[in-house]
Amino acid sequence: MAKTRGLFPASPAERPTQPRQRLDLLRRELSERCPQTLARFRSEFERVAGVFHRVASASDVPAELERICHERAARRLIAWPAEELGVAIAPALSAAGIAVESMPHDRPPDAERRRLRALIAEADLGVTGADLAVAETGTLVLVSAAGRPRTTSLLPPCHVAVFDRTALVESLEQVGLVLEAWHDGPAPPERGAAINFITGPSRTADIELTLTRGVHGPKEIHAIFVDGGLGLHG
Amino acid sequence: MSEPIVTTPLRERASNALRDRFLHEALDIATTKFIALRREAFGDFPQGEALRDRARAIKEATLQRLDAHLETLVANVERVGGHVHFATTAEEARRIILDIARRTGARMAVKSKSMATEEIHLNDALEAIGVTPVETDLGEYIIQLAHERPSHIIAPAIHKTKGQVAELFSRELHRPGLAADPEVLTKIAREELREKFLQADLGITGANFAVAETGTVVLVTNEGNGRMTTSLPRVHVAVMGVEKVIPSMTDLAVFLAILAKSATGQKLSVYTTLVQGPRRPGELEGPDEFHLVLLDNGRIAQIAGPLRESLYCLRCGACLNVCPVYRQIGGHAYGYTYPGPIGILLTAMLNGPASVKDLAHASSLCGACADACPVRIDIPKMLIELRRQVDEERIAPWPERVVFKAFAHILAHPVLYRLGARIGRTLQRPFVRDGRIRALPSFFGQWTRTRDLPPVAARTFQERWRDLS
Repeated sequence: MAKTRGLFPASPAERPTQPRQRLDLLRRELSERCPQTLARFRSEFERVAGVFHRVASASDVPAELERICHERAARRLIAWPAEELGVAIAPALSAAGIAVESMPHDRPPDAERRRLRALIAEADLGVTGADLAVAETGTLVLVSAAGRPRTTSLLPPCHVAVFDRTALVESLEQVGLVLEAWHDGPAPPERGAAINFITGPSRTADIELTLTRGVHGPKEIHAIFVDGGLGLHG
Repeated sequence: MSEPIVTTPLRERASNALRDRFLHEALDIATTKFIALRREAFGDFPQGEALRDRARAIKEATLQRLDAHLETLVANVERVGGHVHFATTAEEARRIILDIARRTGARMAVKSKSMATEEIHLNDALEAIGVTPVETDLGEYIIQLAHERPSHIIAPAIHKTKGQVAELFSRELHRPGLAADPEVLTKIAREELREKFLQADLGITGANFAVAETGTVVLVTNEGNGRMTTSLPRVHVAVMGVEKVIPSMTDLAVFLAILAKSATGQKLSVYTTLVQGPRRPGELEGPDEFHLVLLDNGRIAQIAGPLRESLYCLRCGACLNVCPVYRQIGGHAYGYTYPGPIGILLTAMLNGPASVKDLAHASSLCGACADACPVRIDIPKMLIELRRQVDEERIAPWPERVVFKAFAHILAHPVLYRLGARIGRTLQRPFVRDGRIRALPSFFGQWTRTRDLPPVAARTFQERWRDLS
């Protein structure tokens, strides 16, 4: 490949030298600005047609979910398991007559996967957590993993993400730092291969520039912010 | 040589486009809207200008050490269990992908929008070996059913009315009498394509970026088809031009901040998907195999060439939306895979300067494209360079070259110029009608065929100035 001088002297973006430490520092700074960050997230999330909910504690989440299901006559739910959400939702929802299928912790054999795939494709609503909530753009960032499948937030027509203050960041620039930190050193064995940034419901304007929602992904996206925090290792 | 050279003259293709009243209206509405959205997005974003400079610097810096970054990328993709293939030509890229398709035993491949796969004419090659490619981006799905090529980088079916789409779906999908309602049509596309996503063995995408440091491929989409294509089929193939590699995640954050804003005015597209190799062992979903096909196809030669800056391109389409030529004639009239201002440069890169002997002149050099470009590519400068190359290689017909040489000589000598004005004033008299010259005879008719000329003034500015002072 030809070595050239180039058009002008230039360097790539300066990378943080110790990203994980920088991120810890950032998180401490962010915890002080949490109310403003949350307000900005809400505003941007709603601007891209997200529906924002706020509950006091994790134990309030099932009731909020029930309300959401009731509003759109959703009877079949898929959800990340309780350990990944930081809250158990299946018992309360089942009692209310809503079928909840918890995603498996590990990859099951073929037959079970086929059954799950058919079920996921028919579900009315999918419940996930969120690793990041980006205030600048109203974006939720979900890292896939064993027990955190990608289709939970993709196939059902309605997606609900449950998160707390530990997910909040302010800007895309900070997201860059988080991504550096996540990739600094070996990846945790259970982490998956896909990181999805989700900014509002699926949309297109390909026909005469008329906006329509729910093309291939969900038509609706909800975020439930839990003031008191979720039982997650963070 | 990547694509068959178009033989109908540009003049004819442009005339046909200009006669299409709906196309004209659609282009006007779409480009005006995109321009307004982009302005609004950057208007609300004071860091935008600085980020554009940084993005341009990152692209330039990456090109200066492209081989090292590609090596790092390959090592990291392989580290996470992916396979990397290098294709020097379009033909090689097709062969690589067909081999993968054969080994997979795929009978159908779902495709998420990829200009790179258009560039290498992949779909025809897949069909030829019995693999049905299904475009899943709604715009691409529409034009696939219609057997057409995309007319805009971001909105490929912008030239079609909703009535035309309804009629197309009714006919091709055997659902007679569909309403010309985008909501209804989108719902049908969702149903039809969901079946395909769930059945396909092979998923093919492009890539907007690949982060060398982590071996991550990045897809920027709005519909969700990129996520489907990279989660459901057993095998995922990503086809990407070599110039799309960027060094780190910190660099990625810079580009994400400006890409969607430039393309559609969104702060971010609905989905930005970062894929790092095949699924991990415990994951329920995700491909078992991940392949990255790195495409050269004339790009590497331009690192030391005059079109180097066009390698910064993010494929956002902002230059198309502001170009007075594109806005009049639309994408198909350009005749090649990539339309618009950047398209002329990319066509020259892929097919050589002879392929743009008339396209290089499909520009008034107004510079709106360079202004709109998020990475500040100086497109007009390279168009002039292409014109010079076309002239130097004697690609233009000899009468044209003689006339321009004479014109250049006259312009360089003021005495000749003034004499020319006096002669012209006399000679033009039979041809001036209502203050314009609409038709000149014989060879000079080339200039007046598609434009009117202003006449030489009764008294030139020089003459009036002399009289005044």
